[in-house]
This record gives sequence, structure tokens and C-alpha cells, in this order.
Amino acid sequence: MTDIERLKTYATTEKQRGFEWDFRKDIAQYEVWDEIQVGQVGTGAQTYLITDDDVLDFNRGALETDPRYVDAEQARTHGGPRIHPLFCVAIAFYCIDRGMGSWIRTPGARNPGQDIEIHEQFEIGEEINLTITHYDKWVRRGNYYMQDKLEYRNQDGTLKATWYVSLLLPKTRADVQRFASA
Amino acid sequence: MSSTLSFASIEVGQQLPPIEVDVTQQIIDRAALTHLDFNPVHTAIEWATRAQVFGTPKTVAHGMFTMSQMASVIERAWGPHGATIRKMESKFTKPVKVGTTVRFEGSVWELHPHSPGNNTVVVSLKGTDDQGETISVGAFRVAVPD
Repeated sequence: MTDIERLKTYATTEKQRGFEWDFRKDIAQYEVWDEIQVGQVGTGAQTYLITDDDVLDFNRGALETDPRYVDAEQARTHGGPRIHPLFCVAIAFYCIDRGMGSWIRTPGARNPGQDIEIHEQFEIGEEINLTITHYDKWVRRGNYYMQDKLEYRNQDGTLKATWYVSLLLPKTRADVQRFASA
Repeated sequence: MSSTLSFASIEVGQQLPPIEVDVTQQIIDRAALTHLDFNPVHTAIEWATRAQVFGTPKTVAHGMFTMSQMASVIERAWGPHGATIRKMESKFTKPVKVGTTVRFEGSVWELHPHSPGNNTVVVSLKGTDDQGETISVGAFRVAVPD
């Protein structure tokens, strides 16, 4: 069984089924550390419509068991499923495609830690757009760090969350290629 | 909703119930699906043996899964009682290889008595692996009922 075939057995939502699961496939279209211009601003390629299914699946993946997180019927009696604080991660990966912010998909990247602010709880039915700012990049002890500021706004323009997403990246496109083709 | 949680009832040093997780490939795969993060370091078993991004031939858990479990320490203890996480700062200090058992603990670190409706606490969080080594640390600010 291939990795993709194995992963397919866990897919439950439309967004998952329609998503590209092989992050090595389109690396030529990813941003690379030594080419990124700090200060550049753009928007996510897609908008994320938050559905019950998305939230329930995320909560299950986070290993929640409380019915208010994972049982649609029970959650309904409490006004809908409770949305896990890390749900913004799924929104980001969905909204960011192969252009602006695509470095977050880089094979060979390492995660040093993250800062996330939730200004207002996400709600079922909201359509979330992402504003992406190449916020900072730096070198420390031979490691190449990249940081974007992701701002999540709903269809009314309300700022819902901010994620300062950081990774240690391979420096050049050739370095990325070496990891991808390992 | 239960009213068993209030800002006045919380004390610095108060411990929250810990979470323990056996990190299997199935758990990592499910996290990849839910996060939509299919970086091969997590899900490509054969590739991981060759690439060894973290110096191990094994796949590793997502940092964001680790962060989600730190958040879940607070969510499970206080979420049903009206608490909401407002800010999460985390650092990942050691990769979590598949097959590792990890434990997450949290305790109240700071009280921020601002005004009714705006009181928050900061919970200090730590993840450790089955060798007793630290895998993650965090400070999460939480809004709690008056």
C-alpha cells in the first residue's frame, strides 16, 4: 500500500478529498527561502467555508472525545460543535496553494514553534480569507528561518485570528529538490 | 453550561489534568488529513528513511499536533466551562518519532485581573516523551468566566 492509499482510508471531508496530498509533486512552484522578499503581501489562493464536517473531523484528529467536539447531534444542543483552537492550521493549508505562502509545504522543513492569536472564535458558516505577509526571515546558527504573518478575516472583514507561522527551511531551490527527491 | 470555573477560583500553580498519547502512524496520518499538512516528513514512510530530516529514519509527528495537544490540556479541563484560548506561544524542542509516548501537562502561571469580562490567565504547558525529555513548551493565554 502506498502512502497516499493509506492516507485515503482516513479521508472524511470534501476538502480533504479535493486536496493535493503529495507535497513533493509541485515543489517547483513553491517559494524558497533565498528568493522570498520580506514585506511582500498577498492573499490566499482559496477561501475556506467552515462546515460542521470540517470542524468535527478536525476535533477527532486532535483526539477530542467530548460529544460537544465530535458528535454532531450532541453538539447541536450546545449551538454547534466547539471549534478547536488549532483549527486555523487547516484553514491556512487549505487557503495557501502553490503561490504566496507555499513555503509552508516545503519537504525538509522543520518546525521550531508557533505563535497564534485568536481574536474572535471562528463560527460554522463563515467564509475565511487569508492575508499573507512575508514578515521576517533570518539566519541563526546556520539555520534559515522564515516567518509569515497570516491574518484570517471572515466575509465581513472581521479579523478572527493571526498566525505568525515560522519554519526552518532548506535555503535554496536545489536544497529543496535534494530533500524532495531523497 | 456548568459554572464550576471562575476567575476567582483559579490559583497560580493550579495543575490541569495531563494528556498522554501513544503516537502511532495512524494518529500522524489523521493529523495530516485534519491539518491538510502532508509534508512527507510525517506521512512518507519510505522517504523518511532516506531523507532523515531530523536525523531519524522514522516519520515524526506534526509540530502542530503537539501544539494541539497542549491546547487540548486546557480545552478538556476548562473548555466546556466557558474558557476560550486567546493566544498560544509554543516552542518545539525535540522531534516526536512515531512510536513515542508523549505526555502534556499544564499549570496556571499568571493571573491577569483586568475587568469583568476581560480577565485572563496564562497556562504554562510542557510536553515530555517516554525518555523524560522535553519535546515542547508553551504559554497559552486563556479568557475565563468571571
